[in-house]
Amino acid sequence: MTRRSTRLSIAAASQLLLLTLVFSFTASTSSQTQSSSTRPTGVLRLRVRVKIDEATKGLSRKRFYLIKGTLEQNTPVLEAAKERGVTSRDCFYSKIGASQALIDWLRAGDCESIYCREVDQEFINGPKAVPEFASAYAAGQKEFGTGDVGRKWLSTNLSADLRDGFYQQRRTALQLLIKQAEALSGAQVLSVMTDRNGTAYFTDLEPGTYVLTNLLATEVGQSAASWNCEVQIKPGDIATEKPYQVSNRKDKNVKCVAVEKPLPACVK
Amino acid sequence: MNCLYIFSVRSLRLCGGISRFDVLPPRRREHRENAEEKAKRLFLVLTVWLSTVVLLTTSSFGGQKPPVRRTANATIDYSKFSHSTKKHQGECNSCHKIPTSGWQKTSSYPDIIDFPGHDACVSCHRSQFFKGPRPVICSVCHTKTSPRDAARYAFRNPASRLQFAIEFPHDRHQDVIALLNRSSSTQSVRAFSHASWFTDDKTQTYNNCAICHTQRSVPAAPASGWPDGFQPKSETFKSVPSGHDSCFNCHWKAQQPIATNCVGCHKLAPAPALGFTAPIRISLKFMHDGGGEKKVHIAECTTCHINITKSATLRGLKPDVPITSCTECHNREGLRQDVTKELAAIDKNKTFVCVYCHTSNVGSLDPPSSHYLIAERPPLKRKEIK
Repeated sequence: MTRRSTRLSIAAASQLLLLTLVFSFTASTSSQTQSSSTRPTGVLRLRVRVKIDEATKGLSRKRFYLIKGTLEQNTPVLEAAKERGVTSRDCFYSKIGASQALIDWLRAGDCESIYCREVDQEFINGPKAVPEFASAYAAGQKEFGTGDVGRKWLSTNLSADLRDGFYQQRRTALQLLIKQAEALSGAQVLSVMTDRNGTAYFTDLEPGTYVLTNLLATEVGQSAASWNCEVQIKPGDIATEKPYQVSNRKDKNVKCVAVEKPLPACVK
Repeated sequence: MNCLYIFSVRSLRLCGGISRFDVLPPRRREHRENAEEKAKRLFLVLTVWLSTVVLLTTSSFGGQKPPVRRTANATIDYSKFSHSTKKHQGECNSCHKIPTSGWQKTSSYPDIIDFPGHDACVSCHRSQFFKGPRPVICSVCHTKTSPRDAARYAFRNPASRLQFAIEFPHDRHQDVIALLNRSSSTQSVRAFSHASWFTDDKTQTYNNCAICHTQRSVPAAPASGWPDGFQPKSETFKSVPSGHDSCFNCHWKAQQPIATNCVGCHKLAPAPALGFTAPIRISLKFMHDGGGEKKVHIAECTTCHINITKSATLRGLKPDVPITSCTECHNREGLRQDVTKELAAIDKNKTFVCVYCHTSNVGSLDPPSSHYLIAERPPLKRKEIK
């Protein structure tokens, strides 16, 4: 072979090598896509029931989080969550100077914020009137020229703290903890909210070990309940069998029991 | 001489000029020429092949189409208004006044009820605005382009394509209306068609999904008609918000995104889309309200729509109702065996159409493995049945 044809052969071989690389990359990309769409995943069905006084009921409308990894791996996050103090709803509104009538209105509906339920006319004027609602209603009437809009849009004339200060305070703390957990585990923190019966589903889960937690303690009756449990997710499990039971009381069926502490005294 | 040698800088020398190759004896030269010709041909074939592969690969694996450039000479159709035009992406309230003055005439709440005033257009489009007796630009808002007729289309024009997608985080809205678990009072449950969860003497109205999703009117049939001619009742579907009424009551001026912060909810869509027409449902016979023999489906929305509370966006949102939500009642020992019965019917007749929940377009397909799992049987394909 001459030097020139050798050169040409080398160039051809280089192209062949490049082709092989392009093909192998293409093949690996498509196989990755395929495997991610057909990978076996699992489902976690939660049933959260709590005992308050003598009655047991589903823990409704509470958010639970699923963090990738073991309890040991997630210790820094769980410790950070534990260190954050618990402020009860009543205490929060009392601290920001809400009237007793407003605190009672929230308590009567078990509401965490004023968005929880509509404000009826009887809470705007009359013996049950809530002063904050009355003044917001008056401002709305002036602004919109119609009483009905003033009542239905009442929240638009309330201060931010009164509107959703309690929720925002918890949200800020939760976001910090979630960010920390995601940095630690390298995976997205998943969350679901329980329905009226205390049931919730985590779907499309990669098999493995997770920590089920509520991160910030939940007010249950007169105590603050914290759940931090290790859960195994099996591939292909679609949770048609028994749900994963969560409670604040020990029982043979309960797999995750809360650590309960009395709500701290409210210091203004 | 061929100049396709791209892998060797030295081989580029072969593209022109005289090389040592030109001064060899004729026989050796012929031999070399043959060898070189062969190599060149192989080289050429490989190059063409490689180019084709690279082109195909980039186009089918995430390759984006090059943006269509509008040439300076292209004619602009001024009868079409688009927010995707760069100059139409300024502050929303530079054109839309919030609320529209005189909203009380047609709306029960402060809203944007009409097109922007003339000044919003004239400021840039003076030449189009005063062009001829019937300026085409007027037809964006006006039904007739006549100085004597001020009639306008409804705002927004239902016939026009949607330029914006809505961003709505279900998760945050679920969180903010959360409840405490203070007491263990006797709370009995009502159907989720109602906003209330309680049936005590003094019914309390709780804020939930029903603020935005109420019973809708009988939907218009899809273009191809309803499958099997099955006309669903109005109780079948829930509505989706089509106005600002369920947003502004909280997001008017204090709670972000407020009314003037349009982009907080309205995101410019990549391409204009047709509005929502006929709803799509796998189980067309399921009715949200008043369904079933007891004429009630007792559950709250999140009991069946299991992924809604974690949804931070509407993009890619699916109804996500697992079969287990139905079979808690519809395939329970001693209660009903609706799934098991229809699967057994397929065993006897592989052309059997499942009709309890589905119309034939769905009911004639192979039942999914989840249905067999519920019936505690291994999955089966119709063609496997003899």
